[in-house]
Amino acid sequence: MASLETNERRRRVILLGLLTPPTIFLAIFFLAPLAIMVIYSWLEPGLYGGVIWNFYDLNYGRILGWADSKYEKFDLVYLIIFLKSVRLALTTVFISLIICYPAAFWISRMSEGKKNLFLFLITLPFFVSLILRLFAWVLILRPTGFLNQALLGLGIITEPLHIIFTDVAVIIGMTYIFIPFMFLPLYASIEKLDLSLMEASADLGATQFQTFRRVIFPLTLPGIIGGSIIVFIPALGNFIVPSVLGGAKVMMIGNLIEQQFLSARNWPFGSALGMIVMASVLLLLIYYVKIMAREDQMTSAPAVKEVS
Amino acid sequence: MKYLKFLKSSMLSIYGYFFFAFVYAPIFLIVIFSFNSNPVNMMIWESFTFDWYKTIFGFTSAATESALYLDSTDQLYAAVQNSLTIALTTTIVATVFGTAIALAVARFKFRLKGFYRALMFLPMIMPDIILGIALLIFFVSVGIELSVFTIIIGHCTFLISYVFIVVSARIADLDTSLEEASADLGANGWVTFRRVTLPMILPGVIGGALLAFIISMDDLVITYFIAGVDSQTLPVFIYGMLRRGIKPEINAIAAIMLLFSIIIASVGLYMRSRKS
Repeated sequence: MASLETNERRRRVILLGLLTPPTIFLAIFFLAPLAIMVIYSWLEPGLYGGVIWNFYDLNYGRILGWADSKYEKFDLVYLIIFLKSVRLALTTVFISLIICYPAAFWISRMSEGKKNLFLFLITLPFFVSLILRLFAWVLILRPTGFLNQALLGLGIITEPLHIIFTDVAVIIGMTYIFIPFMFLPLYASIEKLDLSLMEASADLGATQFQTFRRVIFPLTLPGIIGGSIIVFIPALGNFIVPSVLGGAKVMMIGNLIEQQFLSARNWPFGSALGMIVMASVLLLLIYYVKIMAREDQMTSAPAVKEVS
Repeated sequence: MKYLKFLKSSMLSIYGYFFFAFVYAPIFLIVIFSFNSNPVNMMIWESFTFDWYKTIFGFTSAATESALYLDSTDQLYAAVQNSLTIALTTTIVATVFGTAIALAVARFKFRLKGFYRALMFLPMIMPDIILGIALLIFFVSVGIELSVFTIIIGHCTFLISYVFIVVSARIADLDTSLEEASADLGANGWVTFRRVTLPMILPGVIGGALLAFIISMDDLVITYFIAGVDSQTLPVFIYGMLRRGIKPEINAIAAIMLLFSIIIASVGLYMRSRKS
């Protein structure tokens, strides 16, 4: 028995040894900064970038509408920029979903060896520098860029299209860089699809559309939702894509935050904007967890039930 | 049956190849046009040249100065050196810490397990910009000057999570009987860890380390906020170049970086597929 006890004590020591250094590191350099950011968002901005240690709710008031015009002015523009970011992020999610869904189907029905090769090819761009992938789109979309040269050369257009520095360019850029994020969760749920369910559905007289709506779509929904969230989160707070492909013309919430930190030097206000992004992400995730809990209950019932 | 036909149909394959063309065309364009001698319009092919490569490696070339960003290659080399220093240091720290937490969570019983899982999950769901500004506020208010050191710390905070996830996935696939057998045969905890556990999780650890290295080399958003004036990394440097206007030598830098990251990623993915 004594040896069991020393063994147990030894395991405690090892556990402490494993956890203590990373815990201290993360407490100081990860949790503390986040806590300080939360505090900053409730402090009064000082002149020239400093803060005054007073409780101050007008950083949020400026954005959400309770600022008196004495110190801070409420301006609808911040909410408009936020909603625009949500719109651009949702559009990105939707387009990447449409693009990836058939491709995931295609790969899921390949032979094992080919499948691995194509999955490798889809993961590879994720490892290519993000800024370079965006740079490539600058070259393609510029008025003198590849796309315009090609279209002019083919005689499809007579004037170069001005795509760069528009919302469209930002959506193209975000869709492009987030394709692997959307593809992999989608693929995971599409690969699990049982083809016999589709046959059964067709045998029972369902049209192709009905089969899709009643069988394929519900069964791949977890992948659709998972991929959408993984794309939505980085798209919402993005500032690199709008700054490279949107120029000064497209402003997303990320650009606004960056401005507050690096040029306007109003850090409390920038923190408040950041908190609003973070809060929306958390709300979305809570919603996701709820949906998933319900899905689990549903799928624990026989899948055939859903065909009815 | 119609669905089965559709799935095997050539229409879907044609779409599939278009999909891959969309994914890879931009990458190939960069490489091809890095050999284009046209200094003004990089997308109109003039003739084949190595000038841009010569320029970034510091050789004299026929390139006129108005077509170049760099007065000298010093800035570029400093950025490459910073990136490598940061990525290597970060990889070591994040791999050790991430593996330690993964082992603790998978192999020990303790009360705060849920907390550690949540802690490792948090950087994954947080938009990068949030961590970037939080770290900036932290370093400035504590009085730590922004430098290569602050970037290393910043990268570690989120890369620990990536290593944790890769290593945890590996541990989940293992069977505990070997470790139990080792303990039954009288090996103590350390010996079991060194002789049995570590070799088994090693592919996961290496995979996690490679992932951490690549992401650290590539990180732009967090680095952008916490890089000091003299501690630019390669992505931040390129981002700065893009904001000043596009000139052709950037194509050559881009093509070399592409090659580099594709090699590392291929090795990593190949190793993972072989070991599992």
